[in-house]
Amino acid sequence: MRKLISIILLGMVATGLFMSISQIPFGEPGERIGDHFINQGVNETGATNIVAAVVVSYRGFDTLGEVSVLFTAAMGLGAVIGLVRRKKTHTPIEPASLIVYTGCRFLFPVILLVGTYIVIHGHLTPGGGFQGGAVIASAFLLMYLGCRGKRIRENLSRGLESLGGLLFILLGVTGLVIGRDFLFSFLPEGEAGNLISAGIIPLIYMAVGLKVGSELTGIIDHLIEDTDELPE
Amino acid sequence: MVNPVLFIVVPLGLAFAIPLLKYISKKIIRFVPALAFLFNLIFALRLIPVVMDHQVHVQIGGFIPPLGINLVAGPVGMLFVVLIALVGFLVSIYAFHPIKEKDEDRYHILYMLQLTGATGVVLTGDIFNLFVFFEILCLASYSLVAYLGNRAGIESAVKYLIQGSLGSGLILIGIGLLYGQFGTLNMADIAGRIHSVQSISVYVPLVLFITGFGVEAALFPLNAWLPDAHSSAPSTISAVLSGIAIEVGLYAVLRVVFTLFGITHMMGLFLLLGVLTLLIGELCAFSQDNIKRMLAFSSIGQIGLLVFAFSLASTLGIAGGFFQLISHTLGKALLFLAAGYMIAHTGSMEIASFQGMGKRMPFTSLAFTIGAFSMVGLPPFMGFPGKFMILKAALHDGQMLTLILLVFILIATVIEGAYFFRVVQVLYFAGEDLPDRERAPVAFSRFVPMFLFTGLIIVLGIYPSLITDLLDASALELLDRPDFIKSIIP
Repeated sequence: MRKLISIILLGMVATGLFMSISQIPFGEPGERIGDHFINQGVNETGATNIVAAVVVSYRGFDTLGEVSVLFTAAMGLGAVIGLVRRKKTHTPIEPASLIVYTGCRFLFPVILLVGTYIVIHGHLTPGGGFQGGAVIASAFLLMYLGCRGKRIRENLSRGLESLGGLLFILLGVTGLVIGRDFLFSFLPEGEAGNLISAGIIPLIYMAVGLKVGSELTGIIDHLIEDTDELPE
Repeated sequence: MVNPVLFIVVPLGLAFAIPLLKYISKKIIRFVPALAFLFNLIFALRLIPVVMDHQVHVQIGGFIPPLGINLVAGPVGMLFVVLIALVGFLVSIYAFHPIKEKDEDRYHILYMLQLTGATGVVLTGDIFNLFVFFEILCLASYSLVAYLGNRAGIESAVKYLIQGSLGSGLILIGIGLLYGQFGTLNMADIAGRIHSVQSISVYVPLVLFITGFGVEAALFPLNAWLPDAHSSAPSTISAVLSGIAIEVGLYAVLRVVFTLFGITHMMGLFLLLGVLTLLIGELCAFSQDNIKRMLAFSSIGQIGLLVFAFSLASTLGIAGGFFQLISHTLGKALLFLAAGYMIAHTGSMEIASFQGMGKRMPFTSLAFTIGAFSMVGLPPFMGFPGKFMILKAALHDGQMLTLILLVFILIATVIEGAYFFRVVQVLYFAGEDLPDRERAPVAFSRFVPMFLFTGLIIVLGIYPSLITDLLDASALELLDRPDFIKSIIP
């Protein structure tokens, strides 16, 4: 009986979703806002990467929100995992093999460089603060795997995280201070395609990259700790 | 006039700054949330006369609304901003005295993010932006429920997390469907076009939205997480969850139903749902021995009453609903704080362990009693005008269904009275034969918020006309949909 009801309900939802989706024209031009972004995006924001133009310029407030969502998640994880008492006796760490160790040391700066490149060129090529930040954090993950026993300084990563967030907010508030809107692009757009162009988009992406990179590194650091039984 | 975007940005910026402030002094971070919400409270109150005159629209990034994101500070939005700032400020005073020795900074950061998310939800005019802020509110709530770090807290946080994430997923699908059909995310823009397509294809997103937001708003079949989460969170967080989080969920449902979709014909269903939520909440509350669970179930009941009031879809009903919403927020925050203070002394959440509290903690017991009386709807406290306005609106509506449901509401109020009086009776009249224990020590930071909440409940109970203008304007904003759309997308 219960299964029958579930199946009927599922069928109803599926039919509804299908009828709703079948109304949506796929791949056809004529969506007012989408078209505007594609045709006018480069002119209005100076960013050749339209995704960056939408994410940072047109819908920059959402990005501030998303950065805060990640910040909340990292803080929440820290608060919940921090509850668990650290083990007094650490199990001895088995060192990584020579190949892994050497490989990590070789790749670490290269990955950092690639991540930074992706962040800085976010307004020109695919990528941006979130993606670059994730790449940077992956370099630290590799270091944890290869050079076991080395740890990042938690205070430093949390400080950078804060700085990134504050920088984003300060860039936004500057728009208000000069008498325009929050997150208004107060720098000249420059020539599209140049590294220094697109107003405040690269600056915001750097703030986001800093924040996301240090935040994800912090999350990895938290998850890697030895954990003990929950206190009653 | 202050730009409404600052109500979101200032608390958010201060939350980001706390890890840096910690380097300067560990003591000052506990005052940061109070500072942020005092700022919001003062400037939001000063903005109220302006928004009563006309809605304040704010663009972000310098793009006109359908292209960029906009904020809409109308009477409804500002009503909620003031309420969030007020509760946020008073509850953060309660936390001057640390809740737990460890991780104090994370508590304050998450607390501020939670309320920032709530503020963002009520101010934004963009459906996806609403979702983003809703996520901040929910994520912060999940982790704060687990903050005490005991088994019960973590278990209920996981329950809350699973149900909440499912709800968020449904909302996101709904937004995707709407964006696919209308090519825009601005709520006023969507609202203006919603009747241009077949009703079946907007019916699915509507259902997804109501289910998704209904989880946070604790509507009847979706509220299984609430009693556990509200009872195992720290008392300050219980106060915010009960007083702000579910109300903001309800706001999202109202905004979607009234403004976005402009539904007028299925109100009978919502009336029924409201009364069902009310009856189940009150009946469950009646059978509880644990004080915080009792209060949590009582919140479910009150949400049911609010849904009933809003579903009347008349100026009277919605204004009454908003009055009762404020009354519930203030009353439930007070009850959770008072109960939390008593629990901290007895070390037990059982109602029976509160015997003789009337002598040992006279002020806290009095505050609890006033909160309880206001919840039940006794004059001269704030619950009385609230319930009276809803009653009047229902009688004015005059339909057969409404009148029948009204009988059930009165029955539910009697049940509510029964369980609250039982607690009050334990506080004052039980355990006369217990040996006289000395009075509990007085903590200043705990008393100030309770005192102020009590004062507000009495003042607004005696002079409800102080806020009725704002409530009428809020009701008009929800009901006058064409005007709302035209003011944003000319």
